[in-house]
Amino acid sequence: MELQLGLALPTNPTSEAFDLNYYGFEANNKEVDRVIGPCYTSSYEEDIDDIINIDNNKRSFGQAFENSTRDRVVPRTLPLLLWNNNNHPSEEDDPKDLENHHSLFAANKNVGDGDGDGVVGWPPIKSWRKRLCHENQVVRAWNNQMVENGYVWGGRRASNSMYVKVKMEGVVIARKVDLSQHHSFETLTDTLMDMFRKWSEACEKNSNNYKLIYQDREGDWLFAQDVPWRTFIRSVQRLKLLKSSG
Amino acid sequence: MMNYFPDEVLEHVFDFVTSHRDRNAVSLVCKLWFRVERFSRQRVFIGNCYAISPERLVTRFPGVKALTLKGKPHFADFNLVPQDWGGYVQPWIEALARSRIGLEELRLKRMVVSDESLDVLSRSFTNFKSLVLVSCEGFTTDGLSAIAANCRFLRELDLQENEIEEKKNHWLGCFPDSCTSLVSLNFACLKEINLVALEKLVARNPNLKSLKLNRAVPLEALQRILMRAPQLVDLGTGSFVLDHDSDDSETYRKLKATILKCRSIRNLSGFLEVTPRCLPAIYPICFNLTYLNLSYAAGIHGSELIKLIRFCGKLQRLWILDYIGDKGLEVVASTCKDLQELRVFPSDFFGAGHAAVTETGLVAISTGCPKLNSLLYFCQQMTNAALIAVAKNCPNFIRFRLCILDPTKPDPVTMQPLDEGFGAIVQSSKRLRRLSLSGLLTDRVFLYIGMYAEQLEMLSIAFAGESDKGMVYVLNGCKKLRKLEIRDSPFGDMALLRDVGKYETMRSLWMSSCEVTLGACKTLAEKMPRLNVEIINENDQMEFGHEDSEKVEKMYLYRTLVGPRKDAPEFVWTLV
Repeated sequence: MELQLGLALPTNPTSEAFDLNYYGFEANNKEVDRVIGPCYTSSYEEDIDDIINIDNNKRSFGQAFENSTRDRVVPRTLPLLLWNNNNHPSEEDDPKDLENHHSLFAANKNVGDGDGDGVVGWPPIKSWRKRLCHENQVVRAWNNQMVENGYVWGGRRASNSMYVKVKMEGVVIARKVDLSQHHSFETLTDTLMDMFRKWSEACEKNSNNYKLIYQDREGDWLFAQDVPWRTFIRSVQRLKLLKSSG
Repeated sequence: MMNYFPDEVLEHVFDFVTSHRDRNAVSLVCKLWFRVERFSRQRVFIGNCYAISPERLVTRFPGVKALTLKGKPHFADFNLVPQDWGGYVQPWIEALARSRIGLEELRLKRMVVSDESLDVLSRSFTNFKSLVLVSCEGFTTDGLSAIAANCRFLRELDLQENEIEEKKNHWLGCFPDSCTSLVSLNFACLKEINLVALEKLVARNPNLKSLKLNRAVPLEALQRILMRAPQLVDLGTGSFVLDHDSDDSETYRKLKATILKCRSIRNLSGFLEVTPRCLPAIYPICFNLTYLNLSYAAGIHGSELIKLIRFCGKLQRLWILDYIGDKGLEVVASTCKDLQELRVFPSDFFGAGHAAVTETGLVAISTGCPKLNSLLYFCQQMTNAALIAVAKNCPNFIRFRLCILDPTKPDPVTMQPLDEGFGAIVQSSKRLRRLSLSGLLTDRVFLYIGMYAEQLEMLSIAFAGESDKGMVYVLNGCKKLRKLEIRDSPFGDMALLRDVGKYETMRSLWMSSCEVTLGACKTLAEKMPRLNVEIINENDQMEFGHEDSEKVEKMYLYRTLVGPRKDAPEFVWTLV
């Protein structure tokens, strides 16, 4: 049997099996041909089946379609999703249910890659690119008036504020601080100490007794003083003030 | 007949044989050819640094001048491989240095490079000319200082998407005044740079053809640099931002004038930060561009993007963000008739909503750009009809990578899997070498791949298939398969063990979150001593007490001539 490609030549389908219309497909593009050669040899598939020892009750690929039946073997291992080609979109299956299954699928996976959302390593984008796009978003939050080496004081402000949570060790209630108002660790730490001093008597007066740590986008906790301000501001997710020992 | 010629003649003939594969083939003809070939080989490519040892490289190819090495598996790009997995370049550099190899070019991808390695590199090879680091990590700007200071004839320093710790030193200032040989410099992945040193460097390197700046280079500096280097062919801008202050309109005017003089620019990238109203300055060079990379330019949207594209009639390669939208892709299709490569990256990684590009955009491109042969397309959805149309319009795909942001999404019109669509692609593009799948897929797509994708070398599978049959179709049918990477798919022991000899014909196999058990991996390792079967076990502390029936979270196996690697960390078990 010759393999017929529907791409170049008009062909008569010798089997209805691969007629896309068969699956309830409404061609949006009138020029779509029947591409998958309807008389592809099923011998390839049968060879594999022989070797694999499939369950005799299961129809082989060729059988399923040469018989022109409308039933389809339900795939065994698709997570959460059940479909068969009897359904036209307007009929039994509510497409919305299938949407829900997809989001459930996504939500069930690990969220370990620090993005806080979605599946680990998906979508497959280099972490470098992801980070750069995130940075672009943060930097755009700063007004273009910010100058690289000199900081703009008084009057001009970043057009978008950048609030992050701050927790002080020993204090029950966390606070929030707008990082867009700050350009150095000094001013930030001073502001934080003032903030906590006002609200908590348990907090000690001396700011030297506390070390500032921050959680970056990857979920790691780092000492704020170990990194340049620029690195800090681009990746900080939240802050903590720890009592320094000794 | 060739045996009657002196070796020098054979060598001269072999000089014309340049591709790695051809030279490999030549070396297998007979012992004489093997000998002549190995002494005359100058360029060596090692796709997996653990497949062979540095010592054996040096023994076989004492004349090597240019070396390419790749380390971590591809999925390391997406955080699937833990830190400290391996891929260290140090032993390679040490071995080359010890053997007095006259290394001139080193290209590394996904490897761990230390400052010490860079220092040794810079001191050991007097004619060292070219260093290209792609997706590497482990070094700081101190290492770059060593390269700058010690490599007297450096022509190329190309840093692409590396993780580099930036110290307070001014590494760029370490290039001596006598350095005038630079042809290519790319530091776009750094955050800082010494502007004064940069401008001086550009001024004294008249052969500079390729320059990619980073975000720390403001527009004024770009203008001054372009004044010094109107001969550039390849430009990556830094920050392309103008403030609202009035004295900047002078800068803008000067920039426009300077750019008009840069008649050689063919490749344009960068725009890491951009004020769209500055874009008209580059319109004059758009006409001649063959490569445009705006994939980091989150600041260019919609209509500005489209306006820019309209000027780029000669584009052959375009990398953009999905801000372009389907409508924008239609503009690309009608403007860029020579387009061969298109990459559309997502701006919103979690597919949270706006359908930036869909199947419509892709079909438009395929209709307008029949020369398209390389595609990377991140989209919200795809239909079989669209893929079939694309397959028909563009039968020349070499690379086809489709990424639907929701990884198991069916055809939204028919609710069918995308088997037929991908089947059409593999059937029509007979020269397809690389394929990445996504969307709802059953075993059928793998049947098609096994049947039709005869030239396929690399296949990436995620959240696809229904049973072992899928994987078997591929292993059985794709005779040229070299790299197979699979995640979150229901392929298990039967598929893994069906044809163990196959893996020695391939570079590597990655399987994570599949159905493969520890017992099957052990069996495979036992049967195939020339494979390293590595299990990555991140969460477990205990080495004992693992049942053979336990599923393996991450397995990476690769052919090797040198047995289990000695630098594997604790969480990597090499089965024997």
